[in-house]
Amino acid sequence: MTDASQRAAPSGSPLRRAAIFVALVVLAGLFLAPTVGVIFSAFKTTRDISLGELWSIPSRLFLGNFAVVLEKPEIYVYLRNTFIVAISASLLSITLGSLAGYVFAKLPFFGSELLFLLFVSGLFFPPQIVLIPLFKMFNGMGLIDTLWALIIVHTAMGIPICTLLMRNFLISVPDALRESALVEGVSEWRILLFVVLPISLPALAVLATLQFTWIWNDFLWPLIMVQSDEKRTVMLGLVFLRGQYSVAWGIQGALALLASLPTLLVFLFFQRYFISGMTMGAVKG
Amino acid sequence: MATRENFWRFALLAAPVSVFAVFVLWPMFDSFRYSLTDWNGFDDSPRFVGLENFRRIFTDPLFFNSLINTAIWMGAALAVPTIGGLALALLLDSRVRGARIFKSIFYLPICLASVVVGQIWIWIFQPDWGLLNEAIRSAGHLSPKQFHWAWLAEPRTALACVILAWSWQQTGLNMVIFLAGLTSIPSELLEAAAIDNVPDWKKTLYIVLPMLRPATAVAVALSMIGALKTFDILYIMTGGGPFHSSDTLALFMYNESFQKYKMGYGSSISVVLFLICVVIIVAYFRQVGKLGEIYD
Repeated sequence: MTDASQRAAPSGSPLRRAAIFVALVVLAGLFLAPTVGVIFSAFKTTRDISLGELWSIPSRLFLGNFAVVLEKPEIYVYLRNTFIVAISASLLSITLGSLAGYVFAKLPFFGSELLFLLFVSGLFFPPQIVLIPLFKMFNGMGLIDTLWALIIVHTAMGIPICTLLMRNFLISVPDALRESALVEGVSEWRILLFVVLPISLPALAVLATLQFTWIWNDFLWPLIMVQSDEKRTVMLGLVFLRGQYSVAWGIQGALALLASLPTLLVFLFFQRYFISGMTMGAVKG
Repeated sequence: MATRENFWRFALLAAPVSVFAVFVLWPMFDSFRYSLTDWNGFDDSPRFVGLENFRRIFTDPLFFNSLINTAIWMGAALAVPTIGGLALALLLDSRVRGARIFKSIFYLPICLASVVVGQIWIWIFQPDWGLLNEAIRSAGHLSPKQFHWAWLAEPRTALACVILAWSWQQTGLNMVIFLAGLTSIPSELLEAAAIDNVPDWKKTLYIVLPMLRPATAVAVALSMIGALKTFDILYIMTGGGPFHSSDTLALFMYNESFQKYKMGYGSSISVVLFLICVVIIVAYFRQVGKLGEIYD
């Protein structure tokens, strides 16, 4: 089989290919329209938007919305809170998930399959099931309305996916690597740190992009656990400020864009990791 | 040797197991305990009321309303992104120019927060200047007075609108899963069909689709889990309204517990939700298990 015939095999006639291309362009346009609308809105005055001008290309770049948004001190508090929670909870859940995944992959014992299934089952249940008990528990611990509550919850909720992906990744790593180190008298701890950690970097990168994005975007847990303005995360603050600027569409657009910027950047630069993470656990599991 | 390994098993598992047990497993069981009380969220000692909450649930028309909406939501939020993702994957599989850019465009919404997606779609359905009404008006040469449908404020259209927004966000995920499934189909199979002059639509129907069964199982499972968990986008776009027309169990549970502070009653709703999840998951895995037996 030559390369050319293989490439041509699934495509069919030129007419068909042109039709498919046109269909994809139309669909891509429809898919992009909502996002583009928000980006446009951020650069338009609220008056223009309410006159039905939202969905056209801005004739001039109006930066007034960003001026209003960036002057609000609470925006910086929201951003700082979310960075603190997303980064520390991602690191913690990935660390804990890697430890568990390592044991399940390389040190299996009687009943470890069952324990692994129990961990993974955490993926299937809606958070509503633990909402009230956790609220009560954190209330008793005096952690309601602190960032600690969010860090702990996101760490615990992240353990299932981190364990699943790390176990599946580590199972594909040959045992010989670990065994030869053991023969040379290297301790388990050092193997984990100097043998397993370096080869796991791709899987860790996948988890980091996934966890950061999910925790950044989460809305339910801050809604339950946070009460005061200075502990709000970006998504909670976005909803709160939307109430304040209920008809100031342009300002809402600028806020949404600002809140999405970190995850959009992660997506742009780590798209490959993001996509493989979404399919990896699922397809291999 | 064995004791040494046991030491490490214990040392490495201690932290993840205890965090998981304390903050995920224990609260799951604790829900059952609260469902037997009339806790209001403030008292230190909730009063035990037995199965009273469950008796009330099964006489509460709002509960059955959200149960039906959950079924509608799950059916639609499962079918639309799965079929859409499959269609996109099949289109992209014909190796058109710029396939990578197309993939990124279809995939982009998944990295946006539900809060932002909700806001975007509120604007699309906005009655005065929303994209949908503008498009309908320009297609039918209507003035804003002649056509002014408030999509999200109408009980008849609210839930469907949120399903559309949700599908827009989720389709890309299913597309990626189907694309991964497509690459695992041996090319000899399709080449043999090409030599025999099998028309394209027959190849898709009799070779590609059957070979995509494992990918379909994965896509359905992920969509199902995602659909059961959905809260943010409904909360943002409709809050369950108007007149509870888009209330699902997840939303109904939140409103009863954290808006009306009926935490005992809310716990019993989450117990029902838990049991529904168990039934669906067990049924699904039994089904997929059978599939595996047939195809392996």
